[in-house]
Amino acid sequence: MKNNLKLLILISLASPILALAGDAGTALKTDSIRAEPFADAKTVGSINKNDSVDILTKKGAWLQVKTKKTKGWVRLLSVKRGGTSSSGSSIADIASGRAGTGKVVSTTGIRGLSAEDLKAAKFNEEEMKKMESHTLSQADGKSFAKAGGLSAVKMAYLKGVK
Amino acid sequence: MIKIPMSNLLIGLFFSASLIAVNAYALDLGKALEDAVKNKVEEVKKGEEKPAPEANTSAVPSPAESTATTPNATATAPEAAPAQSTQPEINWEKPSKAEEIALGREITGSILGAAPLVKDEALQQYVNQVGRWVASQSERADLPWKFGVIDSSDINAFAAPGGYVLITKGLYQKLQNEAQLAGVLGHEIAHVVKKHQLKVLQKQQLLNFGAGKLSDLFGKNDKLAKKAISSGAEISARTLDKDAEFEADRMGLVLSARAGYDAYGLPEVLQTIGQTNKGDSSVALLFKTHPAPDERLAKLGDSVGSSLDKVKAGKTLENRLYELN
Repeated sequence: MKNNLKLLILISLASPILALAGDAGTALKTDSIRAEPFADAKTVGSINKNDSVDILTKKGAWLQVKTKKTKGWVRLLSVKRGGTSSSGSSIADIASGRAGTGKVVSTTGIRGLSAEDLKAAKFNEEEMKKMESHTLSQADGKSFAKAGGLSAVKMAYLKGVK
Repeated sequence: MIKIPMSNLLIGLFFSASLIAVNAYALDLGKALEDAVKNKVEEVKKGEEKPAPEANTSAVPSPAESTATTPNATATAPEAAPAQSTQPEINWEKPSKAEEIALGREITGSILGAAPLVKDEALQQYVNQVGRWVASQSERADLPWKFGVIDSSDINAFAAPGGYVLITKGLYQKLQNEAQLAGVLGHEIAHVVKKHQLKVLQKQQLLNFGAGKLSDLFGKNDKLAKKAISSGAEISARTLDKDAEFEADRMGLVLSARAGYDAYGLPEVLQTIGQTNKGDSSVALLFKTHPAPDERLAKLGDSVGSSLDKVKAGKTLENRLYELN
């Protein structure tokens, strides 16, 4: 009983902390912040690209975020997790800097896959046969889906946006 | 961003970056690939027939030209394709499904030579179940889709023509639910459906050999086929052009959603990858040769817009994700 109580206290202490802390996030684009997680909900503010936000929670396609000025819901794909430091520009740094030494990068001892590995790779019939042995039919896929309560949904492909 | 000369010819890997480990290759991919293929074919031809003429290295006839000048069973075609003319008239311009599969098999088999399958039957079966179901939502449900998890710590996944999809153990271990796996596989399936990789190879072949028929490479015997593309695994180290990656992201998301999964599986994986320390060797090259995860996420967001608002939320099935030890 005592232990249970302790546990309860622990949980009740811990959860608000988790909820308040929030993950750091960064806006990927300009978007509206809304009062509710719906497209037609009232706009209560906005985010601009590279703004820092605190991600409070996720609900469907929406994230509840807190900015310096306000709190509300933005589209999931408008915010990435993590701070600004790892934004796109860093890619160029990698390309021109560290990786530019011409050295094989995977040298940590764990099994990577380098271009050299691939160039030297010989066709492995045994492994290929193994892979082939797992081939399933459409019907197999269907029953697997059914077992998980999945059913096919009609949806058109998305168009590219320039 | 690195500009690779052949960027529009490049191949369909999801996170292929780490497959290119040597910077020098990255600087001269086009040439390297060209040479590799050229050498192989020369080699093969020399072994095949005695009067092996010099492989046609100078004049590169356009595809149209070459088909015109080397009709079937004509031995008069000068130095262009040495007359392997008894072979059926199948060329790179329109490979059959069987040829596509044969090509994909060679490429995939070579990659398996570099990194074998994880020895876990239940795992391999599981990814085939998820993959098969997602692939069935595509226009190419008829392909004999095959999936595998390979034993590599790199974060990577890739596809080969004809329905071959591999994902690394390193990437698999980052996944939190089945919807995310479906999203990753969906992206790869999209590359196969859109024939991104096949198109690269086709262009390359036509560029190098003009009149060269796929049957010249495959028809004679298996050995020939293997030789012609034994650089297959290396070919898989190429990056696709950005638009092909964005397209595969859009399609992968939709395919997994059509399969009844939460549509956000793929973007979540991109989020995870975006958070990975950029100094980590398992992703360094991935970042180097691919659009940044941020860019992919933003593009995906632009395309999705409000289109998923009315869609019933799909399943994530975290409890069914096969746990890999």
